[in-house]
This record gives sequence, structure tokens and C-alpha cells, in this order.
Amino acid sequence: MAEIFLACGLCVVLVVDLFVSDRNRDLTFSLALIVLIGTAWISWTTGHAGQVLTFGGSFVSDPLAQLLKIFSIAAVFVSFLYSRDYLKQRNIFKGEYYVLGLFALLGIMVMISAYSMMTMYLGLEMMSLALYAMIAFDRESPVSGEAAMKYFILGAIASGTLLYGISFIYGVTGSLQIGEISAALTAGAMNETSLLIGLAFVLVGIAFKFGAVPFHMWLPDVYHGAPTSVTLFVGTAPKLAAIALAVRILVEALGSVGHLWEPMLLVLAVLSLAVGNIVAIAQTNIKRMLAYSTIGHVGFILLGFVAGSHAGVEAALFYTIVYILMAAGAFGMVILMSSNGHDADRLDDFRGLGRRSPWFAAMMLLLMVSMIGVPPLAGFYAKWWVLTALVNSGHVWPAVVAVLFSVIGAFYYLRVIRLMYFDDAEGEAGAPVAGGWLMRTVLSANALGVLALGILPGGLLEMCARALSG
Amino acid sequence: MLALIYFYTLAFVLVVAAVGVVTARNPVHAALFLILSFVTSAILWLLLEAEFLAMVLVLVYVGAVMVLFLFVVMMLDVNVEGGRGRFTRYAPFGGLIAAIMFMELGFVVWWRNLGLPVMETPVPHDADYSNTKELGAVLYTEHVYAFELAAFILLLAIVAAIVLTMRRRPGLKTQVVSEQVKIRREDRVRIVKMEAEKD
Amino acid sequence: MITLTHYLTLSAILFSVAVAGIFINRKNLIVLLMCIELLLLAVNFNFIAFSRYLGDTSGQVFVFFILTVAAAEAAIGLAILVVLFRTKASIDVQELDEMKG
Repeated sequence: MAEIFLACGLCVVLVVDLFVSDRNRDLTFSLALIVLIGTAWISWTTGHAGQVLTFGGSFVSDPLAQLLKIFSIAAVFVSFLYSRDYLKQRNIFKGEYYVLGLFALLGIMVMISAYSMMTMYLGLEMMSLALYAMIAFDRESPVSGEAAMKYFILGAIASGTLLYGISFIYGVTGSLQIGEISAALTAGAMNETSLLIGLAFVLVGIAFKFGAVPFHMWLPDVYHGAPTSVTLFVGTAPKLAAIALAVRILVEALGSVGHLWEPMLLVLAVLSLAVGNIVAIAQTNIKRMLAYSTIGHVGFILLGFVAGSHAGVEAALFYTIVYILMAAGAFGMVILMSSNGHDADRLDDFRGLGRRSPWFAAMMLLLMVSMIGVPPLAGFYAKWWVLTALVNSGHVWPAVVAVLFSVIGAFYYLRVIRLMYFDDAEGEAGAPVAGGWLMRTVLSANALGVLALGILPGGLLEMCARALSG
Repeated sequence: MLALIYFYTLAFVLVVAAVGVVTARNPVHAALFLILSFVTSAILWLLLEAEFLAMVLVLVYVGAVMVLFLFVVMMLDVNVEGGRGRFTRYAPFGGLIAAIMFMELGFVVWWRNLGLPVMETPVPHDADYSNTKELGAVLYTEHVYAFELAAFILLLAIVAAIVLTMRRRPGLKTQVVSEQVKIRREDRVRIVKMEAEKD
Repeated sequence: MITLTHYLTLSAILFSVAVAGIFINRKNLIVLLMCIELLLLAVNFNFIAFSRYLGDTSGQVFVFFILTVAAAEAAIGLAILVVLFRTKASIDVQELDEMKG
């Protein structure tokens, strides 16, 4: 079991870090990476074709879990690679950063293969607590403390609401195990009102974790206030955990009462699309802009669930994976730009990048165009399949709204491109981007990955389909 | 009947304490109100025959978590009487939200009766029933995975809290125990040979 | 006799008071953290009541874990609070306005 290896590995990293002096901190870093590779290898080799339950039915191993785990390990791996130079320049290159990151990953993996509300909650809390601490990691900066506090308060309220909802579902079905809840709901004719209240509270909790409107207030502040390497972390792997939460609770446990939650989810999705894409236009800080763009993308992911069909969930899964690839690249770009000391998080810092370093401007161009959803990039297929699933299940007007708002959304991505190619840098900011070879290689690979996935999307889509068929 | 009287008395105290937490002007008072509400809930949990959890609530919550809260309140030395009023302009809005939410919950709980077949009150357990034993029996068998996870969450909390709050201040006079133990007689005592004084 | 409805109503009142407290009390972050504890108490009440009336222990086990996690959460929350206090010298909610947008 990959989780056991990860848990032991993180204890080793924690202990080794104690005996390493600040100069040799790279040892902790490489050890953390080795743990990640080992975990990925174990998850890869121990997959099952069907569904296997252990630990009294609280742990599940199925193709979906395997797929999500491997991608979340990869996301954490990439974010660690990006973070090294950034943390070193800010004097917060400490071993605990990687220990907390591994803890967050452990929480994510627990959530992915949770098959009872209890383990789901414990995984969720492990992930969230580690993230709160990582956001507050830069103790000198007033904004990061503020961001951590806001995230903490709203996250705690979200968990409380989720639990309150779970308690009602427990009361109605008499069980905490996902399979048993589903069985109880299909078997008995329950009064729907009682279930509805539990469902509403659970949905609020899930929406909080995804960052869907109107529960999105934390997202821009957290993205803005956290150190950029943490923003990259928060923006990628936890999204996979959120989708696991949604699939396990909404589809697997409460799938038989889909007619109750689909309308609520539809409202959340449409609001997210509207607010995310419109408010992003007014932002001057690129991290905030990307936060609102996240909200817009979350709208699309939720629309996949609204479709209610198998293809819809599959499209949502594909969308999430493509999205984290694009987000990792975009935040990686912000980290790369910040390499010489100050945080280059204003949009103006991207002025004239096309002339300063044509290669990285081209990479950013790829990422932005993919986020707009222009073929032949990965972002296009992600949007396309969600829309197809929606139309096929008879939801035509949400699809029209989604297209409309993506067109509006294209405006602010195009603005970044305009700043890079058609504006000149002001003053001393005219230097080409610096940054270690590691950052440069990873970023290039990341952006080219978006292109490659756009040209050959079949493989990943097939993987998503296989993951959900089990 | 007696149980019902107990219930209403305790419930009244609990609600008053909860409102006290929310409205108290002084954070120390709020913390004390919170302790009151925890103790009252513990007694109510005894009525529900959840003895072990009631004890845990008093020991862990009142004994440890609330002490931590009070400690932080004292340490931060917050200016209690701020210049501004107690509540902000959001106060009516917050009250409204609470009222709406309570009405919704009340609707479901009373009118629809939760849609549950009205559950009859379960028979009280015998005197030799042990709630702790029963919980222990499932905790280490059926829920052992969750138990291990909880252990890791506690480890995480230790690591996170230390990382966030510990700082090394220069010029602090601390003991270095290893140095103290390692010390040998030669380092501290110098025997000086002196010529005996002669008259 | 005391029925399930009694307990559920009590926990609903607690939950509403806690949520109202979070919205109303924008003066002091510590009180906000206490409101969160109150919220979790309401949840625990629900679980214990359901567990008793369903005759199923797993609800009580869940409460056990919620208590554990809530303790960890309080520790981290207070740690963040201390960090924040060191940089801002205040725990007034209304001063958390460095970021807008």
C-alpha cells in the first residue's frame, strides 16, 4: 500500500532533517523526492482491475484511485521541483516545508481511496491542516499570515458544515460507509426532505473545498497571500482530492438521488463561470487573476457532474487533470519571473517578455491559449468533452452559457499575451528572466506537455474512462 | 419525567452559555462560557449513555484545549475594550442568517419529523454495561485505519505548530545540557601549586 | 420521554448560534475560533444522538475522531493566530484587509 510507504517515508524525512545543517538542506529535498518516486512506483504496481475493500470497508482500491493518486503524486513532485529556488531566495528553504507537503499528499491519498465518511473526513483534515501551515510558512510576511487565517476560518466552517450534513445522512441511512449508504438509499423509500437538508450541507462543504461561487471568498486571498510556491501546491494536487470527494460522495454514495443535487450544483456551476470570468478582467495581480480563472474552470468541472451521465464525470476528471497541468505551468511561470528576489506577481511584470526571453514568452503563450480553449491544445478538448456530455444529456442552455462565459474569459488571457508581445518593459525590469536549469527544464516540459496532450488526448481520456468503468 | 426535567434545565443552560460565547465582550469571559457549554454538553451526553465521550470531552476539551485558548488569550494581551463597538455592520445580517437557518432546520425536524419512522426511545442499558469497552472493541478492529490516521494528524499538528511559532532569538540565555554534562573537572578547577609561606 | 427530536432541535439551535456568532463577531479572532469549536460541538451532538437512537456505535467512534481532529485544529489555528499577532500586533478581524479585489 502506497500510503504506508509514504507515511514511513515522511517520518524518515522528518528525522533526517533534524540532523542536517542548513547548508545541506538539499539532502532533505532529494530525500523527499525519492519518497515521492517510491510512492508513485508502489501505486503504479499495486493497481487492481476491480474494486477491493479493506479495513472494515473504509479503504478502497480501484482504478480511479490509482489514476488520481499517480497524478497527485506527480503534481506534488513538480511543485517541489519548482519550489526549491524560490524558497532558497526567501530564506525559508527548510525541511519542514517538504514534510508538510508530504503530509498534505498523504491526506490527499487517504481521501482518494476513502470509502467511508470517517476516513474521508480524516484525509480532508490532514490535507487542510498541512495546507494552512504551509500558507503561513513565510512568517515574516504579513499577507501570508492573513491568507492562512482566512483560509483556516473558512476551511473550518466548511468542514463543520460538511460534518453536519454527514450527520444527517448518517441519521437517515444508518451508516457511514459509502457502499452501505448507497444501498440504503436505493432500497428504502426515504422521505426526501430529511435527506435534502443533509445533502445541502454536504454540498456547501464540497463547494467550499472546490472554491465554487458563492463559497469562493477564500480563493483569491489565499492564492495572492501565500508564497507563490505554496500557491502552486494549493492550486494543483488538492483539486484532485476535491474531485475524489465529489465522485465518492455525490456519485458513489448519493448517486441514486441525483435529481436532488443536480439542480443545486447547476446553480453553483453557472455562478462560478459568471463570477470567475468577469471578475478576473478587473485584476492587476496575476495570482489573483489566476485565482478567478480557477473559479471559472471549477464551474466547468462542476458542469461535468451536472450532466449526470458517465461521460460527464469522465469529462470532469479529464478537465481536472488538464487544468492542474496548465495551472502548474502558469504558477511556475510566476515563480520563474520572481527569480531575482522580488515577487513578480503584478501583470505589469510580464511587459515585453516576448523581447526579453522569447522562449518563455512562447511557453506562457501556450499555457494561456490552452486555458482559453483553442484547438489543438489540451484545454480545448477538456472544454469540448464537458460540453458534449452536457448537450447529450439534454442540458443545452448551461452549455450555451458556458461557451458565452469562456468567450468573455478569453479577454483577460489575451491581455497577458498582449502585455508580453506588444508592450515594452519599463525601466530596469528589462532583463531576461533568470532561474536555474532545473526550473527552466521543468517549465518547458510542463508547457510542452500541454501541447502534446492537445495533439494526442486519446490516451489520457481512455485512462479516465477505464478508471470510472470499474 | 425526571429525565425530561434534567434535559430542559441543561438545554437551557447550554443555549445561554452558547449565546454568551458569541456575545461576550471579553475573550476570557467567552472562553469561560465555552467551558460551561462543554461541561453541560458532557452531562447531556451522559443522558445519551455515551459515558466515554462525555469524559473525553471534559478531560481533553476543558482540560487541554480550553487551557490552550485561555493561555493564548492571556499571552497576546489583547486590548479588550476596543474603540469601535462590539458588533459590526454585519450584525443584523448574521442574525438574519441564523434565524433563516434555524427556521429551515426546525421545519425539517418538527414538521417532517426527519422522515424517519419515529424512533422509539431505546431501552437503557444494564448497570454493568460498559460504553468504553464497546467503543474499544470496534476502535481497534473495525476502525483501526482511521485510528492510525488520527495519530498522523496529531503528529502533523505538532510539526506545524512548532514550525509556525518557534523562533531562535539571538542572545537568549539557555542551558545546553550536553555541554553541562560533558564538563570535566579539569575545565573548571585549576589547582595552583603555591609555595608554602615561611615565616 | 426525551425523543430524538429534542436532541436534534438542541443541536440545531447550537449550530445556528455558532454560525450567527461567526457572522456577527468580527471583532476578535479568538472568539471566532471559539465559535468554530461550538459548531463542532453541535455536530457531535447530532452524531451521538443518532448513534444512540440507531443503536450503532460507529457514530460515537466518529465523534471520537472529530474531537481528536478538533484539538489538532485548535492548536494549528492558535499557532497561525500567534504568527499573525507577531506581524500585525492585532487580532481584529477588520484589520485583515491587506488584500482586496
